[in-house]
Amino acid sequence: MNEQAPTDGKGIRGLPVLWLLLFILWLIVNASLATPILITGAVISFAIALIFARRSNVWHIAVTPRSAWHFLTYTSVFFTELVKANLNMLRYVYSPRIDIHPGIVRVRIRLKSPIGRLALSNSIALTPGSLVMDVRGETMFVHWLDVKTTDPDQATEMIVAPFEKHLEAVFG
Amino acid sequence: MELTGSILVLTGAFFLFSAGLGLLRMPDTFTRIQAGTKASTLGNILVLAGLGFYHPDWALKLLVVAYFVLMTNPLSSHALSRAAHAIRTPMAPSTMVDALREEGDRQGNGDVS
Repeated sequence: MNEQAPTDGKGIRGLPVLWLLLFILWLIVNASLATPILITGAVISFAIALIFARRSNVWHIAVTPRSAWHFLTYTSVFFTELVKANLNMLRYVYSPRIDIHPGIVRVRIRLKSPIGRLALSNSIALTPGSLVMDVRGETMFVHWLDVKTTDPDQATEMIVAPFEKHLEAVFG
Repeated sequence: MELTGSILVLTGAFFLFSAGLGLLRMPDTFTRIQAGTKASTLGNILVLAGLGFYHPDWALKLLVVAYFVLMTNPLSSHALSRAAHAIRTPMAPSTMVDALREEGDRQGNGDVS
């Protein structure tokens, strides 16, 4: 869908995705389809998208039906986990004695692209008792509200696995 | 329609209240940040959804607001907790393990402190 050839090797490939995103945002905020608004929005969002797509390659996202499907699955997984995390949190908050064993454990991440890592760490921060503290290379340090295991592999399985396989298909 | 909206807003308010209570009850900085992040995100989303039932023509804008909250709330909590850890904010006595500190000590450069 965004298979536009890079013109100057500085990564213009992310432009269509970003342009579309900004343009849709503009339309929603304006809530109008009048021609002047459409034209202004198209020009401005193109300019902004051009600047940012040239400055970084963060927006190189290939949109295919498969990745769109995985994104939808990821969204549903995410919302289920969000509600579960909140019920869990309510249980801690309203228990007469807060009996938790927090700690910082390390997990491994396989995602390479910066935006994929961003999505992953945001998802982790919003789901069961975990919060990303730092990323160093392939290792992610996660603050865990109730540590169940300190082994990196098991912790990865418990914290990261639900999201990673979908995000990997979307962002790589 | 309005009843559904009211119930959603009320549920959201309940979650926001729990977030506040969590801030008071949790033992240390990091667990407090966690309590604040999660419950307030869901609370916000529910309140916005309830508003969407009151004003269906705002629905898309509210969706954008919800999306911004979803994007920025974890980011800020991440930045706060990282900074708190870097200045060696004490952790709760019940803390089991601190892999990040061990890593910093192992590399011999510590954190930003």
